[in-house]
Amino acid sequence: MAEWKRIFRNRRLCAGLLVILLLNGFLFLREQKAQDYGIDGTIPAFSFSLNIGEGGYEVAQETVDSMDGYNRYLQWLEDYKDLPLAESLPKLEKEKERLTTILQIYEMLENDSEMFLSDSLEQYRAEQPELVQQIENGELDLYEVHLDYAAVNHLLKQVQYLDGYDDYLNTIRANKDKMLSFSIFNDPDSFSGRNIILTAEEFQALEGISLTLGADGAISAFMDFAITDYLLLAVLMLICISFLDERKKGLWSVVHAAPNGRLRLALQRTGILLGVSAISVLLLCGSNLLLGFSVYGGMDDLGRAVQSVELLGKMPLVCSVGQFLLMYLLFKIGATFLVALLLWLIFTAINNVKYTIMAAASVLVVEYSLYSFLPVQSGLNLLKYFNIFTYISLSDLYTNYLNIDLFGYPVGIRAVSQYACLPLILLLAVVCIIIHCRKRPAAGKDLLGWFVYGINHIVDRFLRRFHLLGMEFHKTLSIQKGVVILLLFLYLLSGLSFTVTIPVTDQTDAAARQYTSELAGAITDDTFRRIDEIQTELDNTLAAYEQALLKYESGEMEYPQYDVYAREAEAARIKSTGLSVVRQRAEELRSLGDEKGFAPWLIEESPYKGTYGNEARVNQQSAALVAMLTVVLLLAGSFAYETQSGMTYLLASTQRGRKTLLRRKVGMAAILTTIVWAVTYGLEFHAFLGVCDTGTFTASVQNLSMLENFPIQCSIAVFLVGLYLFRWLALFTCAMLTMLISSFMKRMETAYIATCGVILLPSVLYLYLDLEPLKYLSLALLVEAMPVLIDLSSKGISIFIVLILLLALAILSGCVLRRKTKAAT
Amino acid sequence: MQLELIDLTKRYGDFVALDHLNITFTAGIYGILGANGAGKSTMMNLLTDNISRSNGKILYDGTDILKLGKDFRKILGYMPQQQGFYEHMTAQTFLYYMADLKGIPKRQAAQEIDDLLDATNLSDVRHKKLGGYSGGMKQRVLLAQALLGDPKVVILDEPTAGLDPKERIRIRNFISAMSRNRIILLATHIVSDIESISDQILMMKKGQMVGMGTPGELIESVADKVKEMSCSPEELDRVQEQYKVGNIFQRHGETWVRIIGDNLSTEGQYVEDHLSLEDVYLYYLGE
Repeated sequence: MAEWKRIFRNRRLCAGLLVILLLNGFLFLREQKAQDYGIDGTIPAFSFSLNIGEGGYEVAQETVDSMDGYNRYLQWLEDYKDLPLAESLPKLEKEKERLTTILQIYEMLENDSEMFLSDSLEQYRAEQPELVQQIENGELDLYEVHLDYAAVNHLLKQVQYLDGYDDYLNTIRANKDKMLSFSIFNDPDSFSGRNIILTAEEFQALEGISLTLGADGAISAFMDFAITDYLLLAVLMLICISFLDERKKGLWSVVHAAPNGRLRLALQRTGILLGVSAISVLLLCGSNLLLGFSVYGGMDDLGRAVQSVELLGKMPLVCSVGQFLLMYLLFKIGATFLVALLLWLIFTAINNVKYTIMAAASVLVVEYSLYSFLPVQSGLNLLKYFNIFTYISLSDLYTNYLNIDLFGYPVGIRAVSQYACLPLILLLAVVCIIIHCRKRPAAGKDLLGWFVYGINHIVDRFLRRFHLLGMEFHKTLSIQKGVVILLLFLYLLSGLSFTVTIPVTDQTDAAARQYTSELAGAITDDTFRRIDEIQTELDNTLAAYEQALLKYESGEMEYPQYDVYAREAEAARIKSTGLSVVRQRAEELRSLGDEKGFAPWLIEESPYKGTYGNEARVNQQSAALVAMLTVVLLLAGSFAYETQSGMTYLLASTQRGRKTLLRRKVGMAAILTTIVWAVTYGLEFHAFLGVCDTGTFTASVQNLSMLENFPIQCSIAVFLVGLYLFRWLALFTCAMLTMLISSFMKRMETAYIATCGVILLPSVLYLYLDLEPLKYLSLALLVEAMPVLIDLSSKGISIFIVLILLLALAILSGCVLRRKTKAAT
Repeated sequence: MQLELIDLTKRYGDFVALDHLNITFTAGIYGILGANGAGKSTMMNLLTDNISRSNGKILYDGTDILKLGKDFRKILGYMPQQQGFYEHMTAQTFLYYMADLKGIPKRQAAQEIDDLLDATNLSDVRHKKLGGYSGGMKQRVLLAQALLGDPKVVILDEPTAGLDPKERIRIRNFISAMSRNRIILLATHIVSDIESISDQILMMKKGQMVGMGTPGELIESVADKVKEMSCSPEELDRVQEQYKVGNIFQRHGETWVRIIGDNLSTEGQYVEDHLSLEDVYLYYLGE
């Protein structure tokens, strides 16, 4: 018990475990939302419309709220789950057809001006007058229809899978007969032959199995959520690292010399690893399961055959969902314990703590690389599957069926992993205990010592040339592992997108955009003359249609020929509407320009909106948060590291250890901020240049509808320069605040927690959980800048207030820091 | 060269850590003796301007060190009691960094660092990270950094703590050799260090100076204050309660105690030879 108490009285460890548990729950829920709860909420668009616009515009597709869609699915499921599949399938297919028809009629009615659709609509009126009547009278709620469509579509896919499962089994059996009949496979002693036979034999156990309909979301989400596996690994790492405490604190010899410091301690630690494995699996996986049940509508029937869940359909094991979950959790505990023992083995086998962690990290990296990147067909695939990550990512064993070639014999990965688990546990436990007992604290020879000394020698030759600023960079990037943070930053950045394509809302919008692009430039009389010319062309097309209509009605023209005129006329009408939108915008800008004194320009705004507008808010938020996170993590240790190292008094006693050092630290913060800012927003600007015509940069910024109230008269180029400088200032203010908070912290860990808590957390809670009161504490809004600028412009508040506030905050932080460094206590 | 402490006081709320201290230091080595909490470190922190004073002045050649600011810190070498370090730096990098903080040009710093690493016997491990150093080695690195830049005022808080006897002698001699034209303030619990190299010894108790003089003068001042007497084991507790007791030792099968104070027992005999600073320490600072 003493060892249990020692480990779990470590507050930092307990805080780490709690954070992992909360993070797991948060990420699980977030993942479900990101996956739309498994519901495809996209409503199909029917291609009734004309293809207007040459820009290949993406058309906005309607979607339903995925949670609403899932709830509707549950309602449909309730009606269908007791029906035999043979009855459910045609009913659902018919229902989907009915809903599709309704959606088609809706779309036709929306586009009723399109003359060429009138025939189809009339056909529906004739065939289903009541339905059309209902729709026309607004008796059917379109959103409800959308929800039903998404729900029925999802349910139908599920029923189709269940209904087709017998066929799947038959296919496996037929494949066996068919493939064995080919001469090339006809050798039952070859791997291929044996594999076919083994597969068929294993799946034969499922013959006659009865699959039933149910809410599978929770089980699928539980099996599909891989992050928990890695969080479990993090828990094990934390526990195993806590076993190294005695070595870190120079107590290993004392512990080893104590009567209970060998076998008894080793047994206790084995017990702790088993206990932690069981508890963490039950907590993390159990919480996933419970959250899954709460999100996806209860436990449903756990007595159903496990293959009823599509994700587990490839598992040739006869058991119920409940039995499977029990078996899975038990195996998960065993596998986690096995991984824990392996980590402990690495940790105990090497004397030097630093090398221990490096060795464990190296083993994990190599194993992960083999597991993830080795092709399935590779001759070395043994290394891929007999791998520590097979036990970490356990769900893969149940969601895929795979036999690999082991000396010509097919070996089922799942079965082998299961059967090997217990012997491996026993073996590793014994080895760990023996090593723990026999490893002598003073026996280890530092084999890498001379090598490390040589490396240090070379590094010292560089470092001796460094002045204070260089040394601050050395401390931040090398000693405080800032390089890792920068790599993480680049990795996160690589996953971001900076522009969104703004889909056209309808054909008129497409036409308007096309004309805006064509007419883009300063608005002059020539612009209106060109608009008039285009309008004339369109009028001519309409006139030609009128002629054609007369001819068609008088029988002088055939329908196909008339249809061409009708379509062209319809396109011309839409284009004409689009052109009138452009004309209206041009007139608006001209009068606005006269009123506010800027030169009006017609600008195709979608690149601006897609990069800087509300439409790109998510991108801007993500970029701002990534930049802030990087700056905060890079600088959180700046002063806390000095305090933790006990250097504060010594530094303050030197000639340049106060103001000069502070100036260097601020300088370093400014440079790092600039690097982070330049990379983040350089990528954004690069992406923007890829979609935007730079010729519009000379136009007044007020020509952009989102900035028409911007109070400062300037060109778009100047505005963009100002915008990016504003972002730099906001980011630099974050940097200064980070250093200020760091100066109050005595340890690095608390500095990281405090800076993230104060600077990042309000932004995250506001942006992702919509906690409105935190808006005013959200620094990310200021780094994003655009929402603030647009908001202030629309309210007529001077942006200089924010600018001055930011500057004041940065300067105030600097002043407090200066005061703090003046007197060290 | 003169460093004056005039009416120097430091209070933490009601607690007076340094109580109206008046001392003048000129070139030489000053050993500062005092129990924990006597105010030694407070005095040193005030001298390095690491804490603010409640009252009084510290003048260097007639000018307040706060006014001198950077100029005073330029001639200051400080070795703190706590072994604060950048554990991930090697000794060489750490010393170069400290040299930079002291504004020493690179070329000069290189020469000084080589000399100091030799003097402190660290040349062979100069590229080893400080985190891997033993306590004694760390102590030597701290001492080396304090002596960078040829400081005129050197403040050494427990410089020989954690060193083996050979190293202690080496460091002691090194400090002694460089004491010309410098003010060296050396606080320690190891009385023998002070005894052998200090020009003046300052005795501190509860924030006040209770005695000051050369080692010889201080030893002389306790000439008739130390006695050795035999006592039975049963009486030992009573003697310890009654007097300040130095060594307890066995002689000819009897237990002897060395007692120090003003009103000593009529028993026993005065110690006239072999008086030491330990006796001085106990006389002035013992409870």
